[in-house]
Amino acid sequence: MIRISDITVRFGGVVALDSITAEISDDVIGIIGPNGAGKTTLINVLSGFVRPEAGSVDVDGLNLLTLTPFRRARWGLSRSFQKLQTAAELSVENLVRVGLDHCSSPNAEKDAAIGRALEFVGLSRLRNTKGGDLNSQQQRMTEIARCLVNSPRIVLLDEPGGGLGETEAEALRTIITDIRSSFGAQVLLIDHDVDLIRATCSKTIVLDFGKLIAFGPTETVLRDKMVQAAYLGQGPGQ
Amino acid sequence: MALRISFHRRFVTATVFFLFCVFVLPAIAGAIWLKVFTSAVIFALAARGASLVYAQLGLVNLAQIALVGVGGWVMLRLNYATTLPFELSLLASAAITAIVGMLLSLPAMRMRGLYLALVTLMAAGAFQILFTAFQFPNGGSGFLGVAMQSPGEMRRPFLARSDAAYLSYCVAVTALCMVLVFLHERGKAGRGWALIRQSEANAMAAGVDVTLFKVWAFTLSGFLAGTAGALLAGALRLLDSKSFPAGESILLFALAIVGGAGHWAGAVIAGILYRVVPAVLNDFGLDADLALILFGAALLHAIITAPQGIAGQILSASAFRRSAT
Repeated sequence: MIRISDITVRFGGVVALDSITAEISDDVIGIIGPNGAGKTTLINVLSGFVRPEAGSVDVDGLNLLTLTPFRRARWGLSRSFQKLQTAAELSVENLVRVGLDHCSSPNAEKDAAIGRALEFVGLSRLRNTKGGDLNSQQQRMTEIARCLVNSPRIVLLDEPGGGLGETEAEALRTIITDIRSSFGAQVLLIDHDVDLIRATCSKTIVLDFGKLIAFGPTETVLRDKMVQAAYLGQGPGQ
Repeated sequence: MALRISFHRRFVTATVFFLFCVFVLPAIAGAIWLKVFTSAVIFALAARGASLVYAQLGLVNLAQIALVGVGGWVMLRLNYATTLPFELSLLASAAITAIVGMLLSLPAMRMRGLYLALVTLMAAGAFQILFTAFQFPNGGSGFLGVAMQSPGEMRRPFLARSDAAYLSYCVAVTALCMVLVFLHERGKAGRGWALIRQSEANAMAAGVDVTLFKVWAFTLSGFLAGTAGALLAGALRLLDSKSFPAGESILLFALAIVGGAGHWAGAVIAGILYRVVPAVLNDFGLDADLALILFGAALLHAIITAPQGIAGQILSASAFRRSAT
């Protein structure tokens, strides 16, 4: 259970998040909203890259905001980034192994975990390929494998579907749906692809101008008048 | 698909080169050239330290020569103050210099690029002043150990009393340090550094302790500089406070880029350029300062056409030749 209470973030005069409160217990939760709504800021607050002005984030009794970003990662909070940044000279295996470097488990166990994560995202045959030789979909999958390799509790995916083709998006859908059953982690998913959100998320949070304007079962939320208005760029009063 | 040479092949090449430097080079070089090559090997080691931080983290440390001086100072101090065997003093000098290198990494937590380069250069300037003020120990009394005329002698390792044997000894120590760097690059440290270089946020999100890994790189770099300084003390027996000006660090760094920052061979090339080329020019009766003009041209060449340096060009040429056959 992730309990987000009254999170407020301000960048200068702009209110990026305006006392957001949500309790998340579902396997896969969507976060949608127009550009600049505060989706990535919310992910940044959860992963520690943005310090909120007020509010708290509580996961099973732990106040997440007290940990630095890398300690959150070690505790079991993985995240992917909107922009791909793959170290060109590391092999796929090493790019994934980084996620395990802080663990003291024996090497054989680590190798097995890497194998399992790569198998899950369909990259087993590229294990020794260098990051620089991967296409963007393979880089994306490598990043997801790295997110999963250390058996995380929470996985935050920031627009993983950006720039994917039809079949690749299909594969991504299966991967996201299966994360909870295969790795036990809760998933928070930001994406603009409403089909992806609809197919994978049981509940969805909608942000607009830093405000949470809807949170509930995905279908209900997507039919909501306010949400449609926000997406079409009209104020609710018009 | 980029051209790559197999690990096995690279290992064989490195071993052959190592054996050549240990056994053949000292046997064929004359008295003066032994000194030149010894110093080239030592500065290759120092250059590896500077290029390590640059290649792995993209950070510029312009205090490497000053750290070599620190290593040399500690080595001379230990030589006269204790009866420790050479190897132990060497390790202690390297370790103490590593700590100084670690302190230099503190500004790197907040700065990068030109600003960090300037701060490290200022630190090098500070060391230059300290060296001039306090001189290097030569067997005198007191903590600083400086006497008007050198009453003592810098001991060399038991195994390597002669200049020829000492060259082999320096090559062996340098090779060990290069292997140490190689193991770092291939292991956990190298993975962390690669992620940090690409994006610090990404590295943090992957659980990499960015602060620790940056400190680690500077500490290792300082360790190499300290080892180089200690070996230099053994080679020259007396160190001159004027030998470690801040500007020399810029030159060594530039040559490390010309040689190729990402590879041990690049550091070896840097060492050769730094010490052997001026000696060769001297040998031909030319002014050794001509080397500076050569270095300038080489640096332009590296920046414009060879981001991987001369070592990178040699490697890709040999990979290309092998793929063509």
